[in-house]
Amino acid sequence: MLKVPGWEMSIVWYFFLGGIAGGAYFTAAIADNFGSFRDRAVARVGYLLSLPLVAVCGVLLVVDLGVPARFMNMMLHFKFWDPMSIGAWAVGIFGAFTFVSSVLSFTASESVASLRRKISLVGMLFGFFLAGYTGVLLSNSAMPFWGDSRLMGALFLASGGSTGMAAVALIMFLSGRAMGESWHKIEVADRFSMLVELLVLAIFLGVLGSAAQPITSGHLGPLFWGGLVGAGLIVPLLLNLFGGRMRALGAVSAALVLVGGFILRYVVVMSIQG
Amino acid sequence: MARTLAMFTDTSLCIGCRACQVACKQWNELGLETPEWTGTYQNHAHFTEKTFRLVRFIEAPGAKPNGDLAWLLMSDVCKHCAQAGCLDACPTGAIYRTEHGTVNINQDVCNGCRYCVASCPFGVVSFNEQTGTAKKCTFCNDRIHNGLGPACAKACPTDSIQFGFRDDLVAKANKRVEALKGMGFKDAQLYGADSGGFLGGLNAFFLLLARPATYNLPEHPKLPQRNVVVDSLLSIGSAILVGVGAMLAFRERGKGGE
Repeated sequence: MLKVPGWEMSIVWYFFLGGIAGGAYFTAAIADNFGSFRDRAVARVGYLLSLPLVAVCGVLLVVDLGVPARFMNMMLHFKFWDPMSIGAWAVGIFGAFTFVSSVLSFTASESVASLRRKISLVGMLFGFFLAGYTGVLLSNSAMPFWGDSRLMGALFLASGGSTGMAAVALIMFLSGRAMGESWHKIEVADRFSMLVELLVLAIFLGVLGSAAQPITSGHLGPLFWGGLVGAGLIVPLLLNLFGGRMRALGAVSAALVLVGGFILRYVVVMSIQG
Repeated sequence: MARTLAMFTDTSLCIGCRACQVACKQWNELGLETPEWTGTYQNHAHFTEKTFRLVRFIEAPGAKPNGDLAWLLMSDVCKHCAQAGCLDACPTGAIYRTEHGTVNINQDVCNGCRYCVASCPFGVVSFNEQTGTAKKCTFCNDRIHNGLGPACAKACPTDSIQFGFRDDLVAKANKRVEALKGMGFKDAQLYGADSGGFLGGLNAFFLLLARPATYNLPEHPKLPQRNVVVDSLLSIGSAILVGVGAMLAFRERGKGGE
């Protein structure tokens, strides 16, 4: 006799784009801090991608409210144990970081670049948060399946990483910058994220057992197995591993990861609300 | 905090007249709804944004002391949990606990995020599309602050719904369970009366004549937020794996990268 919250497509899009924004930003911060001078191009793509995405996220969240004009009420209150409350704050704070990092990514000055790297190390924490908290928000509700999923946050975070990196890679490919060492590095990083995501997904399903049925069987089953596990994880992972020097295959892999990331959010959000 | 107020719904006394449901509608000006055909006298199937008190009509085979089919009646309502999932979930502070221990939604603050709807273990909180806010039983907040009991309790002709101080009502309820057991109702039990039990006890608690599941109530409702630390730590673990992977990928070769 439970009631579903009626979170639908705008929330699916928010979870998906928020994951990419967080993933792209922390990837950029890592490339900026630990990569070579050339990897700064990767970092800039990541910063500049996360800024508009987080802006769209904010709009999606506000529009989905019952009374959008009261969205500021969430900013008048803070509950450290409540994913919805911390999440609202984190979207705002993360947005400020993406703005500052994006602006500073155009600098030619080495001292400003050094400042940007330090700022991004802090902003990175909010990026990780944004990618993962949406899962924790669902898993701390009274809903069946959502509330049973101890690894929902871990799964969303890994998916945020893989989709964020895939989005950066795809933009590099489309803008003709898919070459050299940096392209190889983002592919390796994305490969690792996909492996983590597959591993977490396997444990997630194993732990849930029959409680995972809302996504593994029924009308969402084919989408889950074919769209997410097959086309969205295993196929892109194989393309990434064996695509070799064919950059187009790397780009196809990245595009499939993005599709898989969307399907993950879609099947999870819609599972118990259909 | 003042002495905790409570409502005790003794389902063994309910005659299914639905005066409580009507009184609630009238006092709280909840307005009309399209009726739902449920196959019984029950209407609606569940709480809505305009139905805060709901008499449930349940046919339970074998639940009578002599083994016959029992026609169970239960006037259901928001439980005003001592540990309330909706209250913990609310990011705006619109949901608050009154000095009497009841849980209420401030309609001027709620912005309609609906996390409380997903966080109620009983499916009580409902979203109202017209106002864009979450709605549920207010425990007649206006009435109890003016020396009156809730409208439903006031209207109940059989004292199936009783209003008073929680400790008094729990003592009364325990006596009533014993009396019913003496009459042969072996499954008579209290639901939510124990403040050391689930959710810290319910401030609207019930006397049931059968197992909670018979009434579509969860046997062991749990606070939805109980796993927030574990889930967060697991997410941090995932973040470390993904982050270290990216770090290794981007690390400068001169420093011993792959």
